[in-house]
Amino acid sequence: MATIPEQIIETRGLNLWYGPCQALIDVSISVPARRVTALIGPSGCGKSTLLRCFNRMNDLVSDCRIEGTVSYHGTDVNDSAYDVVELRKRVGMVFQKPNPFPKTIYDNVAYGPRVHGEKDRAKLDEIVERSLRRAALWDEAKDRLGDSALGLSGGQQQRLCIARTLAVEPDVILMDEPCSALDPIATAKIENLIDDLKEHYTVIIVTHNMQQASRVSDYTGFMYLGELVEFGETLQVFEAPKEALTERYITGRFG
Amino acid sequence: MNQASSVTPPPTRMSSSPLKETAISIIWLLCALFAVVTVFFILLYLVWDGLPLFNEYGLWPFLAGVTWSPTFDPPAFGILPLIVGTLLVTAGSMVVAVPLSIATAIYLSEVAPYRVKVLVKPAVELLAGIPSVVYGFFGLIVLVEWLRVTFDAPSGESMLAGSILLGIMALPTIISVSEDAINSVPREFREGSLALGATRWQTIRQVVVPAALSGITAAIILGMGRAIGETMAVLMVTGNAAIIPSPITNVLSPVRTLTGTLGIEMGEVAIGSLHYHALFALATVLLVITLIVNLGASMILKRLNARATGRAHAGRTVLESIFRHPATSAAPIALVALLVVAVIGSMGGPYYAGAALLVVAVLALVVPRLSRARSQQLAFLLIYAAVGAVLLILAIILFDIISKGLPALSWEFLTSSPRDLGREGGIFPAIVGTLCLVAGSIAFALPFGVGAAIYLVEYQRDNRLTRTIRTGVDLLNGTPSIVFGLFGFAFLVLFLGFGVSMLAGQITLGLMVLPTIIRTTEEALKNVPQSLREGSLALGATRWQTIGRVVLPPAAPGIITGMILSIGRAAGETAPILFTAVVFSQRYLPSSVFDPVMALPYHLFILTTNVPGSETNKYGTALVLIMLVVAIYAVAIVVRNRYHTTMRL
Repeated sequence: MATIPEQIIETRGLNLWYGPCQALIDVSISVPARRVTALIGPSGCGKSTLLRCFNRMNDLVSDCRIEGTVSYHGTDVNDSAYDVVELRKRVGMVFQKPNPFPKTIYDNVAYGPRVHGEKDRAKLDEIVERSLRRAALWDEAKDRLGDSALGLSGGQQQRLCIARTLAVEPDVILMDEPCSALDPIATAKIENLIDDLKEHYTVIIVTHNMQQASRVSDYTGFMYLGELVEFGETLQVFEAPKEALTERYITGRFG
Repeated sequence: MNQASSVTPPPTRMSSSPLKETAISIIWLLCALFAVVTVFFILLYLVWDGLPLFNEYGLWPFLAGVTWSPTFDPPAFGILPLIVGTLLVTAGSMVVAVPLSIATAIYLSEVAPYRVKVLVKPAVELLAGIPSVVYGFFGLIVLVEWLRVTFDAPSGESMLAGSILLGIMALPTIISVSEDAINSVPREFREGSLALGATRWQTIRQVVVPAALSGITAAIILGMGRAIGETMAVLMVTGNAAIIPSPITNVLSPVRTLTGTLGIEMGEVAIGSLHYHALFALATVLLVITLIVNLGASMILKRLNARATGRAHAGRTVLESIFRHPATSAAPIALVALLVVAVIGSMGGPYYAGAALLVVAVLALVVPRLSRARSQQLAFLLIYAAVGAVLLILAIILFDIISKGLPALSWEFLTSSPRDLGREGGIFPAIVGTLCLVAGSIAFALPFGVGAAIYLVEYQRDNRLTRTIRTGVDLLNGTPSIVFGLFGFAFLVLFLGFGVSMLAGQITLGLMVLPTIIRTTEEALKNVPQSLREGSLALGATRWQTIGRVVLPPAAPGIITGMILSIGRAAGETAPILFTAVVFSQRYLPSSVFDPVMALPYHLFILTTNVPGSETNKYGTALVLIMLVVAIYAVAIVVRNRYHTTMRL
């Protein structure tokens, strides 16, 4: 077994309700830094809900109630004194459906640095180029930075959203089924990209696609009906699951 | 549908004859054509009656002449001061309405907690429901007096009074259309921005509002159209002197608008005289201005729609490029600030102007240096202040009218005829008259409106004909109500010989509410899922069977809501019936549709402007009118909420 990496995000006894429905039940997970962690499980099992706890996007849901702790670098992010804006800057997110703003490609990537106060054009140029390069979109986009981002293909749009996230220099990137709206070629590009990203970032990815989880992730968590059933190194979870439920899901007997 | 599984109908019952189907579709087509034909007919009729003026007086002296004195010898028909008056009052109203409306729209869609939102929204809708004559009444009695005292002016009847009042009246239009535009910005944009660590205000300012800017632009233009076309309220508070204010920033100068001129002079003009034709020529100019404004708005909205559905790579509007370009994004704000300084200067002298300039300069220096959290606080504070102002305005109007109107209400007031020019007695004939006018107008407009909408949605979704029809409906919708009144007078009262009669008023009001009925019905039909139609057609039902049994039932609440809204609108309108249907005093109820009637809005208008010393009965009439209209709207809101239709009031 390799050396255990430091933990960057941890939840302890996390319970979450949407109105009367409990969506997460006593979830405790420790996400290792600079690794790719995949969350898998059938629809409605709470994967995306858990992911949205990490950057407090559930704040936007009006009747959502949370118990237990979610800590980032050891600090409870649900503490009322915690600066949610700062948290989201450090913990970036890529959504299921590509959601570029109706602005130019350049302005999309520069948006984050700009809202965080960067005004220097030369610096912005540099950030935009670096982010687009890291998101493997530079070669396709460099001649059309002034064009509307809505003119890009779906896969390009998703890489633009990744570049946009990278531009604010987060530690953690949350990806909520980033490839579910994409074709296989675009998916392959994003998967390669995820592999490159873990050199600098912690990536947590929710996916429906078990092959994808096994291809891209170092750690895998299997969730079922709001509970985290099993969490461990991907190889172990897929080859020798400890729980019967996990094995049945992975071998395709339900879900 | 539900019984189809248990009972198998004989084939003959499902397949109705193709002839009948064709006949039905032709009926709906005729309804739709009626709407377009009406528009072009109104337009032609006005131009036709205006032509003699152009021939005898000339187009240029008419448009550019600076004197409007139609009863002098020789008469002068220069409408430049009237055009300037209209433009000034409208521009002023936008200065009042735009900041308040946009802030309120942002508040409603982005900031307000759900529980507050469900209270504020009906309040805004209530503001829309108050009839314009009631605004004029309130403006004349309260606002004008307040301005006179505050600015120590000889009279408060001024451009400023008109601007404030029209600004208030334009609020609901701009708020509701902007709110729709902001709401339709995809949730993903907000989440995307927040997930990058932007504050809520940064997200609103840099992502949400820019994405909704076309819609907001259209909202402003629609509000402008409403302000330009408004007659009664403006007529009652602007003083109506046909002069160009000097200097032009003198907001306390009286002005006269195009609509006001029609409202004042049409009733007294000698029919067939040059003055008569001049008024039609003036109406044509008014109509052309509003047509341009409304076409502009609908073009922007259409393009927005095309962009939202990804069908076109639409370019930007001028406003958008100004706001989005970093170098010019502050320009509109600077312009407004300078304007405010100029107005303050012209009212209070150079010291005030200097002080105002200083405030602007300090703000311009301080605001960009605030931290992100502080600027969010400041922005939200301003938004709360704007919403507070809107609610306060409503509260003041309602409190004034309710507190002074309640003492007038009595059984006798509601059931007896007016005496002593309305100072004594009641308003019974006016209530009956208004109910008759409304009932007749809906009976006239509903079949045509629903039929036209069915044709537009169910038979022809998009081709040249439907586009022409839709444009016609848009134009009809934007036509100022006084123009309907003028048309009704010239065509129904004089040409068809109905005389000043209930029937003429009903048809005129019916034409006015036709576009509302068409549009709300269209929306209701479009909300019925396509899968329902396909399900029915796949069972072998004909088109009409599908519409009648599957589409119309779920659309009914929406159609009924549209109808109720039209009733409310028709009940409160004054301008269309001013020359077509009403008399001020009538001892007996009308015995046939060719008799003239009394009506609440007109009664209030005359009491307010022509009968001194009728305080109690004025307020009583205003209160009854408001209660009537609000009750009608309340029913519409209940229907809407009950059936979860997404109809805009």
